[in-house]
Amino acid sequence: MTLPLMKNYINGEWVESNSTTLGDVWNPAKGEKIAQVAYGTKEDVDKAVRAAQQAFWEWRTTPPLTRARYLFRLKDAFEENFEDIARTLTTEQGKCVDEARGEVRRMIENIEHATGVTTLMCGYTLEDIAKDIDCTGHRQPVGVFAAIVPYNFPGMVPWWFLPYALVTGNTFIVKPSEQVPMTQTRIFEIVDQIGFPEGVINMVHGSKEVVNALLDHPGINGISFVGSTPTAKYIYRRCGETGKRVQALGGAKNIVAVMPDANLAASMPSLITSFYGCSGQRCLSGAILAPVGEVADELVEKFAAAAKAMKIGNGLNEQTAMGPVVSEAHRKRVLGYIEKGIAEGAKLILDGRNFKVLDYPNGFFLGPTIFDHVKPDMAIAREEIFGPVVAVVRCKTLNDVIELVNTRGFANAACLYTGSGAAAREFKYRVKPSMIGINIGIAAPMSFFPFGGAGQSMFGDIKGHGQEIFHFFTDTKVVIERWL
Amino acid sequence: MPLENFGSILNFAEEIESQDQAFYEVAANNPACAAFRQLFSELAAEAGKNVKAIQRTRRENVTEMILEPIRDFVRAPFCEACEGAGVLGAAEVLETARRLEARAQRYYTEAAEKISALPEVSRSLKGFGKIRKARQAKLAGLEA
Repeated sequence: MTLPLMKNYINGEWVESNSTTLGDVWNPAKGEKIAQVAYGTKEDVDKAVRAAQQAFWEWRTTPPLTRARYLFRLKDAFEENFEDIARTLTTEQGKCVDEARGEVRRMIENIEHATGVTTLMCGYTLEDIAKDIDCTGHRQPVGVFAAIVPYNFPGMVPWWFLPYALVTGNTFIVKPSEQVPMTQTRIFEIVDQIGFPEGVINMVHGSKEVVNALLDHPGINGISFVGSTPTAKYIYRRCGETGKRVQALGGAKNIVAVMPDANLAASMPSLITSFYGCSGQRCLSGAILAPVGEVADELVEKFAAAAKAMKIGNGLNEQTAMGPVVSEAHRKRVLGYIEKGIAEGAKLILDGRNFKVLDYPNGFFLGPTIFDHVKPDMAIAREEIFGPVVAVVRCKTLNDVIELVNTRGFANAACLYTGSGAAAREFKYRVKPSMIGINIGIAAPMSFFPFGGAGQSMFGDIKGHGQEIFHFFTDTKVVIERWL
Repeated sequence: MPLENFGSILNFAEEIESQDQAFYEVAANNPACAAFRQLFSELAAEAGKNVKAIQRTRRENVTEMILEPIRDFVRAPFCEACEGAGVLGAAEVLETARRLEARAQRYYTEAAEKISALPEVSRSLKGFGKIRKARQAKLAGLEA
């Protein structure tokens, strides 16, 4: 059987790469190949950049409200194709279909937020900064931007950036993850129907060669990246060398702490979702569960029972609470961490290593896994596992939790469950991560607030979406005027 | 089969509406039901509109975080057979229609209660329940 080949979208047309290197795309629930993708080349990137440069001037001179109208049309088209996008996403990524629907919703919310351009892109003016002299700050688009995005949110993450870049008058290139290229291809089929001017929005599939070509190309003004910390650091450094704007969002080791006065029954659903949503493959997954004081035994027992009760299977089944991980290679990597945890002396109280789903014997499944009595210096408490593995680090006091959070290096997100306003304030005031949940698990900021961490979790100054992102995609030109 | 998450509750609602739409479309073309053709056609069209409204509710209210568990809610009590809309007599078709409407109203009422942690979804389901109550009233006075 011939598998479908994912094509590039350049200058308003579907084009095949000149590359002969093909990668396989898998259905992780079935362990079956479902498509192929060409690993693009420098030449593919150059074509896309030239198209985007060519389109820039006409697009940047298009009134912002007219640009927003393209996004309104796009939103409607995404709503119409919502379920199809969500199901494509689940098929190639593995997450539950409700999670995929949530992802598509978040994608659309970014479009909705970006359409506020006529307010959010406004500059500012001050008369009489000196005698008869006025000063104006204009927000102007910069040029061509690109996004390099990960496999865990193949639908949403490019749209943390793309709508804002477009609506402010820039042109754009998306490089989807080579592991999950089908979702963005489906999305671009819809984009193609909207009738954007040719070259305004482009997509190049590929792997390292495409990434490096984007980083090196002098025609690209800025890069938005989401992925692991080592790659984020690399992207940040390379963009510094080539003089590009950059926002590089990296990995995480998020801590969820539970105080003795927390309402455990009410907290359990969001606790479980925080740790096992997307099979733990989120930069906003809980990684360390930190019970404080005497709550530990009861919490661990109830958490383990709830984890064990989760239904695991094909994400397209509405009953499924956790799907497979994205690939066999990733499954092995996570298994390696479980072995490491055992070797380090942590107590394995729920073992997901040999988990099988009867209807899908070839799927890349792992069961929920919990280590208790983990020490803060163990690898499973320091390194990003990106799988359904929870490390329980028992703490004596809130101070111990804050110390634990602030010594991970990563500083993406953290959460505290408590009935005490004072404890909550202390926690959110003192911890380093930039995204904090109180009694809600590790929750993602919505499109109108910024997304991104601190420390080793974020490189750059301006985070994803929120109001700030309008600064990333614009230059403030200051005009000082005096008329004689 | 359990209905213990957002997707399964909305999907089952969609199934109910689609099943009812198909039933009324066939019934409207049943010669024995000629007297009720317009009503059945309207009920089918309304069910079609409800499918779209349910899909919209699902699209716009899905959340990534489960904050409240949904427990003890299953499909079985709401499953109804409705074959024969094209061949049964008018009395049997009307009887089946009443059964389907009562089933749907019951489902929407209970589902709205179960999913009360998502008020917009709950409100929407209550709305579908009201529609079904009104449809029951329309069918109540009819005789074959």
